[in-house]
Amino acid sequence: MHIVLVGLNHRSAPVELRERLAFRREQLPDALARLRRDVGLREAAILSTCNRVEIYAGVPVLDGAITRLQEFLSRHSGVVLPQLVERLYSYAEPQSIHHLFSVTSGLDSMVLGEGEILHQVKHAYEWAKGSGATGKLLNALFQRALNAAKAVRTQTAIGRGGTSIGTVAVELAEKIFGHLSGAVVLLIGAGKVGELTLKRLAARGVRQARIMNRSPERAASLACGYGAIPVALGELGAQLLDVDIVISSTSAEGCVLDRQAVAGAMRGRQQRPLCLVDLGVPRNVDPAAGTLENVYLFDVDDLQGLVAHAHEERQQAVHDSTAIIDQKVERFLAWHRREFELEPCVL
Amino acid sequence: MLIAHMICSLLSYAAFLVAFVTGIGFLIQERQLKRKTMGWWFHRLPSLGALDRLNFAAIGVGFWLLSAGMACGVAGMRVWLGRWWMGDSKACFTALLWALYLLLWLVRLRATLRGRRVALLSILTFSLVLFTFLGASWLLPSKHPYL
Repeated sequence: MHIVLVGLNHRSAPVELRERLAFRREQLPDALARLRRDVGLREAAILSTCNRVEIYAGVPVLDGAITRLQEFLSRHSGVVLPQLVERLYSYAEPQSIHHLFSVTSGLDSMVLGEGEILHQVKHAYEWAKGSGATGKLLNALFQRALNAAKAVRTQTAIGRGGTSIGTVAVELAEKIFGHLSGAVVLLIGAGKVGELTLKRLAARGVRQARIMNRSPERAASLACGYGAIPVALGELGAQLLDVDIVISSTSAEGCVLDRQAVAGAMRGRQQRPLCLVDLGVPRNVDPAAGTLENVYLFDVDDLQGLVAHAHEERQQAVHDSTAIIDQKVERFLAWHRREFELEPCVL
Repeated sequence: MLIAHMICSLLSYAAFLVAFVTGIGFLIQERQLKRKTMGWWFHRLPSLGALDRLNFAAIGVGFWLLSAGMACGVAGMRVWLGRWWMGDSKACFTALLWALYLLLWLVRLRATLRGRRVALLSILTFSLVLFTFLGASWLLPSKHPYL
């Protein structure tokens, strides 16, 4: 049995084409059944995300398998075959195996090292298995791909560090407080990045979010969107005694929070740690506030610097990650040859 | 009584060692955050919150174990020697240690001090633990028959 892959991703095709090929969750059982019945696949799995659509197949003979898969995708998407084929990539083993291991590890993602793809591959495998579309070959392939990805993510820096200001802010907050389930967040202002950061923190399960804005209507509207509580601008001093994380994202000319105000708040809150994320330009928080004990202040430059550093670390981790994947692919190939008594095949 | 004294005392020192290690971990992690770097230690050390909680727990457990150990020691002396206190150098330093950890535990409990300062005090106080456990009997006369 051979393992073939046909698909496209964010590098090979624009989003307008990817969305036409995408499979919704409810379409998968029927699609997998048709792949086995009409296309002649023994085993099949479909990985469909916003950045890629890939079909992994176990076929008894390679001859014509890839063409049939391309035709299947053409029928599914309504895109004529010659136009579609230009954007598709097709592999048999070992490239098909290497590709899956790399994709699952986040090496092929739009954001290098992102971790969401591992869960997406896991779900794709579980849905295919649940539909009875996988067997000995694809079961082993996907299980080993997931193990390889876990090895890459634990043994290298490929997944370390945030890839955006919001994710870096969350990571820093978690290193200060640990679990954010007990944390209260205050967003001051209505900047887009501030809102995205609040969204990231809310997704991590903060206990409560509060929103402060010059315009009470804007505060109420934003609060509604996040299940947050709007608070009046004049309550800033009182809020500092209570909240754990402050995201300041205003276009104010002067300081919204000076050192003295923060120092007073720290006395009032018995020196409980305070995380200040200043996304304003010009800065909303007096930089001197960051020198206070138990106060951790990060401005836009700090966060962007950490994003750049994380990206650099991930780039450096590619070599080590590839080495791990190469090793895992070799082991899988050896098993594959033993189990299916194959000669090495190159497409 | 002697065995209980020994076990409680040794376990208390182990707890103070945990407080010492978590104190160091806290200072390292805090430095990473204050310097706004995500270096080698940043990813490997727990959060400041976790280190602080573990440090506080270790101080509390160590203090109460030390209290139990001292109580057993004092009771044992009364039984064997007919005296509550023999003025032994090791016993004196242990009493001082007990007082310092009581103070540290109370200031942390009441949140009079937090974070960096408690971490520093945990580290400094542990130096007295080392001296009491290892050095006191060598440098000063002591009736404690071991170390």
